[in-house]
Amino acid sequence: MTVNVRGRSTVAGRSVDGPLDHLRTMVRALPVPTAPLTFPSRDAALGLALMDLSFRLDHLPRLSEHLTLMDRGHMSRTISVDVDLEEISGRLRDTLIVPGQPVPGATASLWVPVSRYSRRDLAPVVIRDSNGEVVPRLSHRDANRVTAAAFVKLLFMLINAHDDVSVPDSPIHQLRHTHQRSRWLLEAAITELIMVGAPAGQRLHTPLDHAARLAASHPVRDLAQAGLDALFPAGRGDQLLVPFARLLQLAIRQYILVAQLGLDRPRRFLTWDAPLLPAQHRPAPLQSLAKNVLPVNREFVVEYETEIPRSVKAYHLTLEVRQEISVRRFVMSSDVDDEFVEVLAEDLESVARRADRLGSHHKLLELELQSIASRLAELGRRRLVDLAGYEDYLARLPIPVGPGSAPPPPRLTADEVLTALSAGNCSLDVLAAFCAHYAADGLQHLARSGLAGPGLRNIAAGLRTVQAGRDVTTDNDPREHGAHAHWRRPSVELSPQSTEPVRVFAFMALADEAPALIESITRMVAGLALVVLGIGTLLSGGIAWLYSPAIPDNFVPEQADAVVAVLLLVPGLLLARLDLPSTKSVLGQLHKFQRTLAAASVVVTTALAIVVGTVRSDHEMTRLFQLALAVLIVILICCVCEFYARRIHRGSSVPRSAKVPRWLRDVRRAKPTVEPDDFFDARGEV
Amino acid sequence: MTSPVNSTKSSELARIAAEAAGTHFSSVQFTLTHGPANGSLPMPVIDPDKEDPNGWPTDFCHFSAAGLAVSTSTWPSAMSAFSGRVQLGPAEEAGPDDTYSYFGHAVPNPGFLNQSTRKVEVLITLGTAHWSPTYREALMQALIIEKLTGLAAERDAPVLHLHTPVAPVPLSIKAERGDGSNERLRDAIGPCLRFSIGVDPQMSGTRLDFETELAALAEEYGFGLKLNDQRFNRVRGDWFTIRGFDRERYRQTRAALFPDAPVLTPKRALIASVIGPSRTGTTTAAVAALRARGIGVLAASISSMRKTTFINLVLPVTADIAETYPQWSGGWLDALPRLSASAGHRLAVADQPDESLIADWKVAVSPAMRCTYPPSSRQTGATFTGRVPYPIWLWWQLPHRTVDTPALLAEVQSALQPHTRRCEIAYAQSRLCRGDVVRGRAKLIVMLSQDHRDHAAVQRLLTDATEAAQLRIRERLPALGRVDPSKVRLRLSPRERWLTYAGISA
Repeated sequence: MTVNVRGRSTVAGRSVDGPLDHLRTMVRALPVPTAPLTFPSRDAALGLALMDLSFRLDHLPRLSEHLTLMDRGHMSRTISVDVDLEEISGRLRDTLIVPGQPVPGATASLWVPVSRYSRRDLAPVVIRDSNGEVVPRLSHRDANRVTAAAFVKLLFMLINAHDDVSVPDSPIHQLRHTHQRSRWLLEAAITELIMVGAPAGQRLHTPLDHAARLAASHPVRDLAQAGLDALFPAGRGDQLLVPFARLLQLAIRQYILVAQLGLDRPRRFLTWDAPLLPAQHRPAPLQSLAKNVLPVNREFVVEYETEIPRSVKAYHLTLEVRQEISVRRFVMSSDVDDEFVEVLAEDLESVARRADRLGSHHKLLELELQSIASRLAELGRRRLVDLAGYEDYLARLPIPVGPGSAPPPPRLTADEVLTALSAGNCSLDVLAAFCAHYAADGLQHLARSGLAGPGLRNIAAGLRTVQAGRDVTTDNDPREHGAHAHWRRPSVELSPQSTEPVRVFAFMALADEAPALIESITRMVAGLALVVLGIGTLLSGGIAWLYSPAIPDNFVPEQADAVVAVLLLVPGLLLARLDLPSTKSVLGQLHKFQRTLAAASVVVTTALAIVVGTVRSDHEMTRLFQLALAVLIVILICCVCEFYARRIHRGSSVPRSAKVPRWLRDVRRAKPTVEPDDFFDARGEV
Repeated sequence: MTSPVNSTKSSELARIAAEAAGTHFSSVQFTLTHGPANGSLPMPVIDPDKEDPNGWPTDFCHFSAAGLAVSTSTWPSAMSAFSGRVQLGPAEEAGPDDTYSYFGHAVPNPGFLNQSTRKVEVLITLGTAHWSPTYREALMQALIIEKLTGLAAERDAPVLHLHTPVAPVPLSIKAERGDGSNERLRDAIGPCLRFSIGVDPQMSGTRLDFETELAALAEEYGFGLKLNDQRFNRVRGDWFTIRGFDRERYRQTRAALFPDAPVLTPKRALIASVIGPSRTGTTTAAVAALRARGIGVLAASISSMRKTTFINLVLPVTADIAETYPQWSGGWLDALPRLSASAGHRLAVADQPDESLIADWKVAVSPAMRCTYPPSSRQTGATFTGRVPYPIWLWWQLPHRTVDTPALLAEVQSALQPHTRRCEIAYAQSRLCRGDVVRGRAKLIVMLSQDHRDHAAVQRLLTDATEAAQLRIRERLPALGRVDPSKVRLRLSPRERWLTYAGISA
């Protein structure tokens, strides 16, 4: 989803792709009000306070999510938060107090936003506290109403504080004093947008789309549009336009989940079931077909993405699946340092662009490079800590993964590090070596080194390519059918001013581990092959029929019924013992190919039974027994292939996922990424 | 989602609006007090009702230089309807004899977003000698303030604060680097200027251009330039020298630019406080208009509180003007002729109409007051007598609505009393921050009661004095304002960069 900042082309009086596009469309489409739309000032204050708190959520020190994979395609989430009302500042607290006299003996309570979620998820949400009691919520309608009041108030405040408000005949002055209908129209448009909502990524569908030859201009609407232009001028860094547009965008796409909490217990624990998450996409049919018909011992790969408030100190993500399924890999990655890396990369590019001008101010260049170097070193240090944690995780696995064929890290001198960096090599080895040299004061005169120059651009590109801003958190749950990752906010926040939520990606590979179905199936197929071999040998009186081209006499049994019974009963009994899962479940997906193998082996023996019952020629019977045995052996080979494929999967050190940061994939030379089987997006904005 | 859409500024907008739109409050109320700096803080004329939880001041600022002091205090107000965006008038109750108080309201500007910016702090050295500025230096200083803030205004970067005079930073000799224990003690004040601007961290090009032009300006005028050390893990008070002070060039430029200005130290000065809603480019506009009328700036303190900018300027009164105007407040355009009359050198300049940027701002002007300058510093050879004023820095964080800043500062002064013969507050600023805490910084100028020539002995004395005072304040604070001792953070140190607490985000 993109808010396109620039490039507002005006087509038939309606701007396209502007940040305030929805609002402008609504201004065109709504009837012009003749009276002001007045909200109680209390609502406006409450709405603004809720909006402010819901963006930062800094009163939530801890957040946990518990994921359960219901079946393939649906995931349920239970969210628990710790709320600390002491973190809400006094003035906001006064605004948030729930009006009305509390029951005698009880203390006042507050409306507290605890989460934001997409308007698409319309399932009811029941919040419970630690005693299991249901916590009252603000209804969506009321939350929308106070949000609308907040925007109307914000617009009014912005108009009041504008430079032109006292300049007669300026659009702002007119909006404020003389031509208020345009302001009322703007307010009505905002209210309509917030109360109704608008889907993401789409153009707003209005009645205007169905009418032709509408009057192109209308003074009230034109003034409203001109007022928007004056209030939120594009260009000049878009100082107000983008923040306001983003605020409005979030308000019309998301709901705020608001709970009523008493002030008598400032620290609370709340939990609720979030709306069920449907999978976002399916892999290409060809790919899933290949996974299902080849002996690759498929894994079921699930990716999950969510957003957590930046102020959260700890975030727990737990996953639980059926006991028959093992969680083979569980890796979580967050983009907590992405903004820092982006700023660093932009610093690098700006310095590269200004190399000539800065060159004449030697010390300024040195300061700039030192600042860049210190941040690069910190980045290297952090990622190295992450890598150590990841290596530890691999060694801790039930089937540990060693370093494999990866060579020991090279040791680089300061000059080699600078050369490698200038060439755009920002791999972890280089960053770590850079960190060591920086800490040892080995990089003191960078302005005179080879670093200053076009190499800086390469470093910026390299940093972005390796996704150096993403960290890695690994599973620490000892159970095989569960997983838990514990993310902590870094001790020193690298982009301290930011309130941008942190995006978290989780990669989960689910597999069928020992005792697995494939083991039983292999035993069954081997058993069936032995049965066929035994019957053939007994009928021919030796094992020569297996390899000799000669046809033994009397191969056709005299009492075919007994052989047919054995050939039908034995596979049937074995198959009944297998306990095959339903095809809708994840386990069913994992077992799809193996189920085919089992069925195929039964088909072979059943066909053989039919042959025994019908064919009366020694020649044909021998050939068909040989054929059946050959097919069973082929199936057995497939089973062995499955074992081999499982071994490869178990030994893979880095998940083949695009969500795993590139630097980690590079360290272990991972193969190209593949699409996941299921992708769940819990960011509230879609 | 593409990266430029960042919700940081959106949430800042929501925060400002939410704070401004609190249930009953839509404006900011402030008091302003001008007076002579006599060591103690001027008591605010209108004491906000402390019983009312909303009556507690949220922001406080005090500044004293050249024997004059100005302090400002703001808190939310219920008053919403008044014409214009700032209202200012003399306080109804007069304070003590020689102080002049004003009282006003302002509508904050929620569109002034400066929280999510990266701070670039600059230290300008305008001389290495003892601080006793002449009319000519005041003009030069005004010119430099105008140029510097102009550079920021061209880039839409807000000026976060500006102070002059401030403590100079000695050039560190490589062998003395390290923890700072052995570094030379700083002078309390010197002919230096310190200011900081906020730049969007995403727009590093803007920042680099600003820094480059600053360096070019330093080269042109010969002033010394230091930038805050932007390396990771460096704290406030760590400086990176870009250019040393070029005495010869500075002297030449000064003489060439202001050949007629008298080379005398002003005997009297007045304080002009220019107040209005925060915007970029306002300081430049104000100082340029003054300079066009031949008015220099002796000392300045500029800061924003609750999205309202306070430009406090100490202006030298022309020596040949004997009469003293009474205290006055009014619009900016009306203030200009009045200021020219008492402080200007070129009275003939006609008022230009191009001052629209701050035309709606209000000004409070104090009567001319007597100036005093620090009698000694290390430059005057005071090291041999041992009577050197030393700076002590103070940083604190207290829960809001417990101890207000003037009370705390008075407490600090009394805690330092046993060790010092003089203790003044050069500047102090506190503001209400996220999490309902008031954070503040102050610089005190102390003269130790024991005379010592030995550098190491002075170091030890200062350290002991601050440690003891810190302990005493911490003990006294709970009694003073019923504050939970576990929530008190307070550091007092003779070195600015030792003030920071662990950077581990709580």
